[in-house]
Amino acid sequence: MAAQAKHDWADDDDLDELITSDLPPPQKIQNKDGSTTIIEYRYNDQNQKVKTTRRIRYITHREVVNPRVAERKSWSKFGQSVKDPAGPAPDTTSVGENIIFRPSINWRKDAKDESKDPNAQAMKDKLKDKKVKCRICNGEHFTARCPYKDTMAPIGEAAGADVAAGMGDEPSAAGPGGAGAPGAGKKGSYVPPALRGAGGAAGAAAGERMGGKYGERDDLATLRVTNVSEMAEENELRDMFERFGRVTRVFLAKDRDTGMAKGFAFISFADRGDAVKACAKMDGFGFRHLILRVEFAKKAQ
Amino acid sequence: MRPVLLAGHERALTQIKYNREGDLLFSTAKDQHICAWFAHNGERLGTYQGHQGAIWTVDVDPTSTILASGSADNTIRLWEVKTGKLLKTWDFPTAVKRVEFNEDATQLLGVTEKRMGHLGTIVVLDIKIDPEAEQSDEKAMTIVCEESKATVAGWSYLSKYIIAGHEDGSVSQYDAKTGDLIYNVNVHELGSPITDLQWNQDRTYFITASKDKTAKLITAKELEVLKTYVADTPLNSASITPKKEFVILGGGQAAMDVTTTSARQGKFEARFYHKIFEEEIGRVRGHFGPLNTVAADPTGKGYASGGEDGYVRVHLFDKGYFDFNYEVERERLNRLAAQGGN
Repeated sequence: MAAQAKHDWADDDDLDELITSDLPPPQKIQNKDGSTTIIEYRYNDQNQKVKTTRRIRYITHREVVNPRVAERKSWSKFGQSVKDPAGPAPDTTSVGENIIFRPSINWRKDAKDESKDPNAQAMKDKLKDKKVKCRICNGEHFTARCPYKDTMAPIGEAAGADVAAGMGDEPSAAGPGGAGAPGAGKKGSYVPPALRGAGGAAGAAAGERMGGKYGERDDLATLRVTNVSEMAEENELRDMFERFGRVTRVFLAKDRDTGMAKGFAFISFADRGDAVKACAKMDGFGFRHLILRVEFAKKAQ
Repeated sequence: MRPVLLAGHERALTQIKYNREGDLLFSTAKDQHICAWFAHNGERLGTYQGHQGAIWTVDVDPTSTILASGSADNTIRLWEVKTGKLLKTWDFPTAVKRVEFNEDATQLLGVTEKRMGHLGTIVVLDIKIDPEAEQSDEKAMTIVCEESKATVAGWSYLSKYIIAGHEDGSVSQYDAKTGDLIYNVNVHELGSPITDLQWNQDRTYFITASKDKTAKLITAKELEVLKTYVADTPLNSASITPKKEFVILGGGQAAMDVTTTSARQGKFEARFYHKIFEEEIGRVRGHFGPLNTVAADPTGKGYASGGEDGYVRVHLFDKGYFDFNYEVERERLNRLAAQGGN
């Protein structure tokens, strides 16, 4: 070691370690499959003995090159690189990030799908002179953003079922005699399954409507459960409440990042009677070390 | 593929050249040295020191013994590839924009700039491929470009013609023995200069890149335009790939407009076109400025591009590149394989 001739402070540590160590000597084992196992021992920062086992396979790539090329590989460096050691110098040569380059015939089409720029622009142009109108209050915002969306039904809801096609401001084209044909006058426009046949019997239409957006979501039979354990699962709650009657919906609020429950849940029953029973029985029930508090959900504001 | 980035220059690249075997790569930039690199791992072999101005062009002889370079310091210099030693300097009245050896490197042509009352010329020098030999001072021939100055030039097959690309977008064919103009054909849009001219392997046809956003494949003998590749940006360089029937185009927003555009809009990508079908088949991103020069590895394994950003990026193609075939090509290969089987 060069340190013997000219002692360097930087080598001190290593030398001490060598003297004081009682580590087993490193081992090299030839495996049957041609690989080599190297076992080494060392002390880490906490003075713990660490065993490192590495399995290495040496693969020799043989490449036949032009003798001229082989000769050039042995040339010594010159100019600004004269002092560089063999191999690429880190100051001039680096490896870039991986680029995926796969030639393809419809390269242009692929690229377009990726950016979608022209389409988005076309859509924007199309909507430029369209005015946003709320179906609930006729205000200048999207229906989803309407402050009254949970308390009011859309305009014209009471009069007819023409909301079906989302055209609250148009007179209903599909009269009651529409025989289930969804919006006969507006062929091609999509009608969600829940609203199909809205032109038929008014009663059926009301019954078919799924837990709607208009606050008609049977709040009458929905329980609010608070002080729920963080570990709770929706199906656990469902099992607990199903004892009292048919449960149509279980909603357990969860943290989006951690996936843990936030501590409250909503349980909707098909029948209000069952809900009353459940509310009475489950309020104060011990679940996962916590005492549940169950009450009827208030109407959304 | 993971490109190898070569940061041997402080300024914009001007030209990249592979040697014949494709193991060495020479790069020139607007700073004042030439770099030589090993193409397989990006190791720098050395630099050639001595030029006093931006270096515009470089070329290496087929045996990789001597290297010629042309610079804005109005000289062509000859170097020994192995040691970096300067062998010879020829002085000219104006800057030298392009040098190229003929096929057996017995002659070297140089394109000089039109400036300060001097017309653009193409000079031919006799060369001896021997680092020890005394090179002659005399010019073997001088072609004066009276109409429009030459921007690029090269030797055709068998050193029969000298082909020059001009500032006005035309291509000229000169007799390489006498220097007589044989043809002058307007191939690119009038007034858009030809920025690059590179040969296929046997020098029977070449590709030109132009500021008119097209590259064209042209025969050396008839100056007939075989193919046109249309890009959406001014082109600075074009190269023909061996092994696969592709061409590589490099370009991008003019350097002076770069700061006013984003990298996405700048179109700083190497474009691959199919040589026969003239269709774009892919792009390779990476540079932060326009591509000033592209060069295809003569072994067909990769290519290198040099940009205004001062980097050379050396790419080795993946399997997907070699496997790519058009349907007709695949059918032909299958047919050939079937015949071989019988």
